[in-house]
Amino acid sequence: MIKFENVNKYFDQHKALKSLSFELPEHETTVIVGPSGSGKSTLLRSFNLLEQPEEGLYSLDDKVIDFAQPISEKTILEVRRQTGMVFQDYNLFPHLTVLKNVMEGPLHVLKEQKLIAAQRAEELLELVGLSDRANYYPNQLSGGQQQRVAIARAMAMNPKYLLFDEPTSALDPELEAEVLKVLLKLDVEKNSMVIVTHNMAFAKAVASNIIFLEEGNILFNGSPDEFFNHPTERIQKFLSAMTFEDILPK
Amino acid sequence: MKLVMDSLPAILEAGLRYTIPLSVISFIIGIIIAVITALVRISNVKKGSTFTRLLKIIGKAFFSFYVWLFRGTPLIVQMFILFYGLPRLPAPYTVEFGAFSAAVIVFSLNVGAYASETIRAAILSISKGQWEAGYAIGMTHTTVLFRVILPQAARVSLPPLSNSFIGLIKDTSLAFSITIVEMFSVGQQIAARTYEPMVLYCEVAVVYLVFCSILNVGQYYLEKRTSRYIKNT
Repeated sequence: MIKFENVNKYFDQHKALKSLSFELPEHETTVIVGPSGSGKSTLLRSFNLLEQPEEGLYSLDDKVIDFAQPISEKTILEVRRQTGMVFQDYNLFPHLTVLKNVMEGPLHVLKEQKLIAAQRAEELLELVGLSDRANYYPNQLSGGQQQRVAIARAMAMNPKYLLFDEPTSALDPELEAEVLKVLLKLDVEKNSMVIVTHNMAFAKAVASNIIFLEEGNILFNGSPDEFFNHPTERIQKFLSAMTFEDILPK
Repeated sequence: MKLVMDSLPAILEAGLRYTIPLSVISFIIGIIIAVITALVRISNVKKGSTFTRLLKIIGKAFFSFYVWLFRGTPLIVQMFILFYGLPRLPAPYTVEFGAFSAAVIVFSLNVGAYASETIRAAILSISKGQWEAGYAIGMTHTTVLFRVILPQAARVSLPPLSNSFIGLIKDTSLAFSITIVEMFSVGQQIAARTYEPMVLYCEVAVVYLVFCSILNVGQYYLEKRTSRYIKNT
């Protein structure tokens, strides 16, 4: 369970997250949507403490963090052990092969044995459909392939939560489909997922819960059915902008 | 031609005995100093306990002062201060070095000051996303630094560091001024004896060229090796 209570995040004078409170249950897929600059990424990055809000309480399962206090290195590492993250621009390690990218965490963070780590990495590459690219370098892959490696890399740590920060927004539609196909294969029983995305069709298909964020406020937190079929006026406007309904000739 | 052949063994011997060891030893020590200096200077003073933050601020000031001092004064002046100046300090403060040690100390500190800026820039050139990707899989700051950032920074800093190494090989000729009989001073002695300065100094120049060319070849292969993962190289 991921739980925020009255969390505030500032960037200098700008308030990026405004007193947010919510709870994301385990074994579900939460999709965070909203216009650019609404704080979606900041919120997601707070879950693994890449961003550290200044105020509020954060509970990750039985661990409670008070953002107003300095967070110890130990706590930060524990939280990151529980959460895997996939970035918009992949951020694979360019100097390591695909297989070694996936093995890096298990080998040098979990201190697993090389053979075990390699075997698990191969299984994960199979899952994302890249077994034949194990010895390639990231620069030799397409964006879609790189992002699938990044998913395998995040999963190699067996995190309880998988965080996706606009995983397909740097990809063209065909490559996007490749990545979404992999995401659909993931099992929420093993990894609860939080996904920031602009792809509404995908959100509709995978979400068990949708959060709509605007200017650091949560305007909606509920079921996809309610979000798409009974939207408020603001959400309706957002949704039709997404499909260019307003501007395209009928 | 006979003169060249006759003088070559003496010049080469001086090269193998002084020029090369001086360059290699000073460069290795210099790089270690440079990495430490660069890491201290890029450390984040906003992070850590009050004590570590204080330590970082003092460290930063110290290493910035060191870089400023050694980049801002001529190499030969540094050498003279260390070799001729320090032994003449009043009694309890007298420090004496052998000529070779004095040269190694000065060359190391000098290379370290310049190379630290190269390495600092190389580390800063690696994108923030690489740090975050390391953190996201649970790495500590140190692990990210050694497993992710430094291997990539090494590739970036290779050409400018080769520059420093080549510069150092040539700068070792200044060691003649603190009594070290390296290649250049051997050439000078023979030139004085034979009245053939043109021949001897050109010969010395060619030997320096050969040494630096060997280094160029080394740089080429190292670059190839460390750039395997980059497209189109």
